[in-house]
Amino acid sequence: MKRWLVFALCQFACSAWGDTEPALNEVRVGVDLPTLERGAETVITVCAGCHSLKYVRFRDLVRLGIAQDKVDAWRGGKPMGAAITGQLPADAALASFGKIPPDLSLMARAREGEADYIYSYLLGFYITPEGTLGNHYYPPTKMPDILAVAGVTDPSQRAQLEQKARAVTSFLVWAADPHARERRALGYYVIGYLLIFTTLLYFLKRRTWAKLDRPASA
Amino acid sequence: MASRVLDWIDRRFPLTRFIRHELTEYPTPRNLSYWWNFGFLAGFVLVLQIVTGVFLAMFYKPDVNLAFDSVQHIMRDVNYGWLLRYIHSTGASAFFVVIYVHMTRTLYYASYHKPRELMWWTGQVLLLLIMATAFMGYLLPWGQMSYWGAQVITNLFGVTPFIGDQVVLWLRGDFSVGDATLTRFFALHYLFPFLILAMVGIHLIALHTVKSSNPSGISLADKDNIPFHPYFTLKDLFGLGVYLIVFCAFVFFMPGVFIETANNIPANPLVTPAHIEPEWYFRPFYAILRAIPDVLGGVLAMALSVMIFAVLPFADRSNIPGGARHRPVYRAMFFIFIADVLVLGYVGSQAPTGFMMLLGQVATFIYFATFFLLPFISKWEERWLRARGLPPELIALFPPRPPRVKFPRPEIAP
Amino acid sequence: MAAMPDSDAIDDADRRDFLGKATMAVGAAGVAAACWPFINSMNPSVDTLEKATAEVDLSGIAPGQSQTVSWGGKPVFVFHRTPAQIAAMKISGGGKDLQADVDRVRQPQWLVVIGVCTHMGCIPLRAERGWLCPCHGSVYDDSGRILHGPAPRNLAVPPYRFVSDDKIIVGKA
Repeated sequence: MKRWLVFALCQFACSAWGDTEPALNEVRVGVDLPTLERGAETVITVCAGCHSLKYVRFRDLVRLGIAQDKVDAWRGGKPMGAAITGQLPADAALASFGKIPPDLSLMARAREGEADYIYSYLLGFYITPEGTLGNHYYPPTKMPDILAVAGVTDPSQRAQLEQKARAVTSFLVWAADPHARERRALGYYVIGYLLIFTTLLYFLKRRTWAKLDRPASA
Repeated sequence: MASRVLDWIDRRFPLTRFIRHELTEYPTPRNLSYWWNFGFLAGFVLVLQIVTGVFLAMFYKPDVNLAFDSVQHIMRDVNYGWLLRYIHSTGASAFFVVIYVHMTRTLYYASYHKPRELMWWTGQVLLLLIMATAFMGYLLPWGQMSYWGAQVITNLFGVTPFIGDQVVLWLRGDFSVGDATLTRFFALHYLFPFLILAMVGIHLIALHTVKSSNPSGISLADKDNIPFHPYFTLKDLFGLGVYLIVFCAFVFFMPGVFIETANNIPANPLVTPAHIEPEWYFRPFYAILRAIPDVLGGVLAMALSVMIFAVLPFADRSNIPGGARHRPVYRAMFFIFIADVLVLGYVGSQAPTGFMMLLGQVATFIYFATFFLLPFISKWEERWLRARGLPPELIALFPPRPPRVKFPRPEIAP
Repeated sequence: MAAMPDSDAIDDADRRDFLGKATMAVGAAGVAAACWPFINSMNPSVDTLEKATAEVDLSGIAPGQSQTVSWGGKPVFVFHRTPAQIAAMKISGGGKDLQADVDRVRQPQWLVVIGVCTHMGCIPLRAERGWLCPCHGSVYDDSGRILHGPAPRNLAVPPYRFVSDDKIIVGKA
């Protein structure tokens, strides 16, 4: 819901400012376990080479539903309460890229466009006429084309890459808000209860106020 | 058994007497519409904010190195921490929705007139306290928008003549917003809601002295007042139910709407976000601040835009009661003013360049013009309405003056 | 004033009463349910609950050595016993709190006990044989059993289990 709102406002705002940012590709965020597990695999084994996810801990992955032995394989000797750390030390990052790769725990919330932005960004790498690497959605990026999308034209290959980007995006959306499913489920119950309670109150109120119009009774 | 305990207490403390006189038997105009529900709703939101706030404070750490992490800890690890946080963040916006509707009701019916001036002014103090509380609370998550919003607004105090820099330094406790600022904002953010509670008590004492106004604008006869319980307790609870449905729709399904994107990034004193903007409830005043090119002028205009409401009981010189209900010109001014505030709110969210700047300045002009023109327009309107002929329910309030008796001149004895 | 049939009046009152009572009941249930998140938020959070278990890697503990690990804020002695020590413990039954050694270990070469003296809570120090509590002089053997001194009971054995030959989890039986 909020994504649509932000997306629409973004388009309006962008056109108001005369910005020439390309439109975001919409992604259908996956909330099922297989997609999230695939996304987790990619993020922890590939992205965590440079990026950290300091607020995501291995025990959170088990609570998500990923099998313990898979999580054990990912964490190596680190305890369950450890966070997912990036493997690239800060000084090496500054030397190679000039910036420290940002933490990804909240990345799905920290950019306008949220999931659509992440998805579009991952697939947005291309080769400039000069032969260097560029990104349609964040031109000043120092990140390498991690999914190797630039120059891929074959539709089935492209579709595979889109699936991969979708899995990564879905996992990052989960990482930014791990209680989303629980929150929505509880929301249905709470609003359902409130509808019943408010309806009861409405009839009680009407019944009570009707006494005023009736002539004086006992 | 319960009645015996109650008797024992009543002989030592006016419990039952107080509850009967101020709550259950309290005479209330029977024609109050749903616009009168919002005072109670504001009280409810205040209590909910205090309760969620206290529980959040059990886990929040007001230290620049720990604050952002502690909020993530609440969101991820604390049982139902995410719920506490979302209720509190949504509740802050909900508080302003409720308060603004409550104020709008008063403006529409011009309920600020005698004898309710003190209600209006205590309400204004409440608004200022709530704004201060919200501003300080917004710094606590220590996100990018938190930090830079606080940086910009505390900077504004530098316009104070002669001692501006010292004032800013004193306010922040540091050369820029830092750890000292964060800890003191936390302490004060915890304190202010209890000052607000006390002020609400004063506001209600004033209310119970002059009693509620009503949509007709005219004081009703005693027979047209009904006991608060069960009529308005039920009506308030029903209104609360409707409010909670909307509120919970946001908390459970759209909680991120009220959390600025940039606030998901930890504060960085070396990087300013592309567009600094306050939360929606401050945007009309932010627009007025930016409409004046001079910093001091802008700050004065912004302060005046909040304080100017205080003059309304005097600026509105009309004796016709009921506000927009019986006064068509006042009604027009009311709707123009509301539209103007909405425009200012939009302007406050946009970059202050070109057309937006002009629009903001025009809207600011209209905003203040409303207050400056009101004394003249209100008097002229009254004369016009009385000449035209008042509706029957108002004629009784303006009994015709008895004809002037001309006495014969006394004979002067020769 | 139209006279209302009696049955109508009674019906009205009954209906209103049911509606009123039902509303109050539903409201009370809602208020009670709404209190739960607040109360539960004060229960230990997920990261704190983690302290309920501690993983211990046994491979680094040589025979005859004891390692102290933290479990829920308490010290736990993980003692790698030599065959001689195991044999000695098998023969003896302990001191005033008689208990067989086999009842205190899952694998004889590993003794896992809570390192808190059962007298007044000090942490005993490793001695040449067993442990000695410096506060009031309680002496424990290589099975953590009280031999002499003011302590009434043997050192407590926490719930633990072997997940592999060289790893145990303390806190889960």
